Amino acid sequence: MSGESASAIHRNQVDLVDFIDWSGVECLNQSTSHSVPNALKQGYREDDGLNLESDADEQLLIYIPFTQVIKLHSILIKGSEEEGPKTVKLYSNKEHMGFSNVNDFPPSDTVVLSPDNIKGKPVLLKYVKFQNVRSLTIFIEDNQSGSDITKVQKIALFGSTVETTDMKGLKKIEDHQH
Amino acid sequence: MVLEATMICIDNSEWMRNGDYIPSRFQAQSDAVNLICGAKTQANPENTVGILTMAGKGVRVLATPTSDLGKILACMHGLEMGGEANIAAGIQVAQLALKHRQNKHQQQRIIIFAGSPVKYDKKALETIGKKLKKNSVALDIVDFGEEDDEKPEKLEALLAAVNANDSSHIVHVPSSANALSDVLISTPVFTGDGEGGSGFVAAAAAAAASGGDTGFDFGVDPNIDPELALALRVSLEEERARQEAAAKRAAEETSRQEKGEEPSSNAEDATMEEHVNDAAPEDIKKATEEMVSGSGHSGGDVEMSEASAEDQELALALQMSMQEGTSDQSVVSKVLEDQAFVASVLASLPGVDPNDPSVKDLIASLQSQSEEQQKKNEDEQPKEDK
Repeated sequence: MSGESASAIHRNQVDLVDFIDWSGVECLNQSTSHSVPNALKQGYREDDGLNLESDADEQLLIYIPFTQVIKLHSILIKGSEEEGPKTVKLYSNKEHMGFSNVNDFPPSDTVVLSPDNIKGKPVLLKYVKFQNVRSLTIFIEDNQSGSDITKVQKIALFGSTVETTDMKGLKKIEDHQH
Repeated sequence: MVLEATMICIDNSEWMRNGDYIPSRFQAQSDAVNLICGAKTQANPENTVGILTMAGKGVRVLATPTSDLGKILACMHGLEMGGEANIAAGIQVAQLALKHRQNKHQQQRIIIFAGSPVKYDKKALETIGKKLKKNSVALDIVDFGEEDDEKPEKLEALLAAVNANDSSHIVHVPSSANALSDVLISTPVFTGDGEGGSGFVAAAAAAAASGGDTGFDFGVDPNIDPELALALRVSLEEERARQEAAAKRAAEETSRQEKGEEPSSNAEDATMEEHVNDAAPEDIKKATEEMVSGSGHSGGDVEMSEASAEDQELALALQMSMQEGTSDQSVVSKVLEDQAFVASVLASLPGVDPNDPSVKDLIASLQSQSEEQQKKNEDEQPKEDK
């Protein structure tokens, strides 16, 4: 839709980086020196010199659990023109996927990144498919130029939270006399 | 203590009938497998191990990853040799078995016993290796048995393709008088990148060695008295750390004290006592004697305070060590003279009441002894000065 400006994020959509459960984040086929926090964490992802790189071949499988149930609205993936990702498949609420079963389920959404997107323009997703997301699996299938290594500079997720109880915030009620 | 799921790929091909390993290649392999299973489960009780055979009629999974050691040992019985080992298929099936492990938080590892010649070419092996690396599966290769010209190269290429920051290893075991398991014990296949397993390793060394304490660090069999072995190990490590710290302090304090090592011995006492007191009283005598021979006067200090905490039999040990460490007696006696120090040290020991009459008697006797020896030393010193 032409009404939307290139970098505008819709109202009520927040950057979901605060809701990522870092203890459960996993990435398959990442190179040890260039790992997934380089692309996801606040601060690291702003630095274009710090990338997430793939290791044995060009595919990457990133698993991101959230601390709350969220609705995912759009995704921003930034990378270099040649080695940035091209085809990205997103799977919601599928745990512990591997490269072998990635083709067994249909993805919740598939995104093909254009050179514009790779520079930092967010991609709108099929919002209806991401209404109740506890965890997100991002499968990067290939890159822009077909090289052996895929490099990702930044991955940002935008959406909103569903009102869920944060178990850590529950405080013990004072014992009243029953 | 890494949480790991391991699949062991056994070679039960015709090549395993050969007797160049003792008693036969197949037996040596079985022993090694049993030891590995034990080591893995001991390193972390939640670790699981599974077994599959690569030869025979085809690749067959004997046990899916389980932490039940009995089941694993049982399935090693009655295995028949025959056919040719199919390494590629073996690794792939192992990968599949690991993928379907129950606890997804376990790291995946495959240990492969490559005893027969490798019929796959380097390229194929490298592709397999890459696939393993992509799925973050570590691989340990035991190269034994048939010595083919290209076999070590091919296996090294496979390792290079799999290796992700040194989590994968290869061990080449030529045939010799040593058993396969003995050779493997000291390798990273067993010790898992250097951590864990050392208690088990020491125990296994005991089983292999024909008796005596040759394998142990402390002259104590970890199987018989694991708490003591652990206590000794921990106290030695702490002592080393404190010695380094104390050496710095000692350098600063040499002008104030006659012997700069005094503060260090004080610090060592405190740590030694805490740890050694956890162990059983009888064995402590043996253990502390070992330590005295290794660590000089500080060992003597431990025995002092320690004997006062336990009972009569340890007073004996105490006297023996006093006699042994004559050169350092001046330090020891000075320490003892400082009754305030001894009292404070005793107070810190759990279960010892410094006001207990038996304890007081013992201290008094120690001090009279130390005074005698101090006089002896003073006589010696003027002689040395001349």
